[in-house]
Amino acid sequence: MSLLDRLQQAAPALWSPEWLPRLPQRLVEILLQYFGAPGWLVTLAGFLVAAATVVAVFLSGFALLSLVERKTLARIQNRIGPNRAGWFGILQPVADGIKMLTKEDIVPAKAEWFLHLAAPILIVVPSILALGVIPYGREWVPVPLELGLLFFFAAGTLTELSVFMAGWASGSKFPMLGAMRAISQMVSYELPLMISALGVIMVTGSLSLPAIVAKQAGFHLGFIPAWNLFTPWGLSAGLIFYVASIAEANRCPFDLPEGESEIVAGHMTEYSGFKYALFFMGEYLGLFAISGLGITLFLGGWQAPLPGLGCVPSWLWFFAKMVVVIMSYLWIRGTFPRVRIDQLMRFAWLCLIPMALLTLPAAAIWHYVGGGLLGWLTTVPLLLIPWVILTVLYNRRMAPATRTYTFAES
Amino acid sequence: MTPLTILLTLSTFLFTLGLLAVLTRRNAILILVGIELMLNAANVNFIAFWRYGPPDPDLTGPLFVLFSIAIAAAEAAVGLALILMVFRHTRSTDLNRLDSLHG
Amino acid sequence: MVWTRPIGRIGRIFSLSYLSMTPLLILSPLILLAALGAVWKARPVHAALLLALSLALIAVLYLTIGADFIGLVQFMVYVGAVAVLIVFSLLITRPGDEAEELARRPRSVVTGLVCTLPVLWVLVHVVSRLGNLPAGAVENPVFSVAHVGQVLFTRYAPAVLVVGVLLTAVMIGAALFAREPGKKPQCPSDS
Repeated sequence: MSLLDRLQQAAPALWSPEWLPRLPQRLVEILLQYFGAPGWLVTLAGFLVAAATVVAVFLSGFALLSLVERKTLARIQNRIGPNRAGWFGILQPVADGIKMLTKEDIVPAKAEWFLHLAAPILIVVPSILALGVIPYGREWVPVPLELGLLFFFAAGTLTELSVFMAGWASGSKFPMLGAMRAISQMVSYELPLMISALGVIMVTGSLSLPAIVAKQAGFHLGFIPAWNLFTPWGLSAGLIFYVASIAEANRCPFDLPEGESEIVAGHMTEYSGFKYALFFMGEYLGLFAISGLGITLFLGGWQAPLPGLGCVPSWLWFFAKMVVVIMSYLWIRGTFPRVRIDQLMRFAWLCLIPMALLTLPAAAIWHYVGGGLLGWLTTVPLLLIPWVILTVLYNRRMAPATRTYTFAES
Repeated sequence: MTPLTILLTLSTFLFTLGLLAVLTRRNAILILVGIELMLNAANVNFIAFWRYGPPDPDLTGPLFVLFSIAIAAAEAAVGLALILMVFRHTRSTDLNRLDSLHG
Repeated sequence: MVWTRPIGRIGRIFSLSYLSMTPLLILSPLILLAALGAVWKARPVHAALLLALSLALIAVLYLTIGADFIGLVQFMVYVGAVAVLIVFSLLITRPGDEAEELARRPRSVVTGLVCTLPVLWVLVHVVSRLGNLPAGAVENPVFSVAHVGQVLFTRYAPAVLVVGVLLTAVMIGAALFAREPGKKPQCPSDS
């Protein structure tokens, strides 16, 4: 069979918009099969091309996001943002890249050079690993694992150790302090993250991310999507996941580990040039990964929001949702002040973890009752009443007092 | 040289290294490192026999390892909390210096 | 269309030669080297990081064998929690006297070896006499998460409950231990 015949034979599953993200992979596969490569080589080449596609897409997304973030923050802060490098600053990521690559790579004399070198790499690697298991479209999961969610969380826990390595290997005080803060923050906020995901696992009955997305298909009442966010336990768990993901990604208002006004740059202080760029990249790729996971668990992944919109390719819906979620992260960064370390810990342990634990029986009751009006009636009080009690208690004990201002007279 | 033998040899040497760490080290936290190595050696043993031994539909091996991992984590947490409490009192983690009960 | 069928187990790529010993032969010396470093190195943080490396390699070993649930749990709990705990407490206690450790090294190593070599001899003796086990390894032992969940919560349910109580007690106990003595818990009164 000639090459053209093979391409024509694979046509519907190759050239339709739904299959567009898999196009490079399928093309390489077909080419190799035409040239008679052994089966294992075809598999390996396909995996490599899929990984390369994911990395390429998200690295260009990272470049774009660095520009979009600076422009958005600038507009929130009533200024313009980078607009020198090209039309509307569109070449700013290129300029940033050139700057980072050509900077001198300084390793302090007291630093352990091997760990100093390994730490940025070990921060980027888990983020890229985690990006591999998320279903981006109906036909596109880079690695469809049965234990996808567990793999995602296991990759996330590697980041903590790498942050410690970065802080300790730098051999100076600010990085060490930043690393301690970062580890305590990440460990504290991992619990609400995982417990809120537990409710989803319970209702879906599987750890596989494509299965979780498939369970959220369909529409209630004809137009409300059956996403997990639109159930009471899902709303609660989704909000907890959202807040915990901001803390896991070390973003403002939880960016104490890299608070510039306090500890220079935290665990990234002694890094310059490309290693700093790797830290930056790791943080943003982690942001993509965890927002992708949140979309998969709670926002229905690649499902369309309205019944008639199924003609739009599924991966477009996924990336549209990701754009919305990431813009909300940027909005929050520009709007909220940084929280203090004890406020951070108190919030995690005394508010998020009890609420996350409450979503478990709520999800169980919802699943047992079968959803619907009875489910709403039984689970909403279970979630709402403790939430109100926690808020009232917080406001009574912890909220700042009303400020009174004294202005100078005349 | 079956896979089972390789894994059992691995777990034997891992256990011995952990025991060596417990007996040789002076820092209390590094003794905990040795204890973790010993626990992991036992876990490798369980998984090796589940995988390369007689078939077991009850998944006894991996489930035992699951419980062992949970208990090891709990023990590490309590052990480190104790060490930190003692450190707060005596400013030292050197086990050779902790030889009196009072003061 | 090789992988529209879900990859059930991470280790399936190694099940091409299911009893192949290549991953084992590569990983075992690495694990032993890392563990040796964890036992031998005088600088405590290096030893702790080498322990984390050996735990991670053991997790990879579990993944290649086919116990991928256990491998990921090992990664998450041991590398992600226990190793982090150990390095964190090393950060807090800041041990620094490696010169002293290196000075007493010969005597302590001799003592350790004298106590450990008999144990090693006994274990090696037992392993070498492990002649004929009853017949063989199943090619890919069944390990689906649903099966694990079912067995855990039907047959081993009392054990799960006990471990849950244990972990709760550990959490409360560790929190109580870690509090500063003599200070009532107070919340800051300012904003």
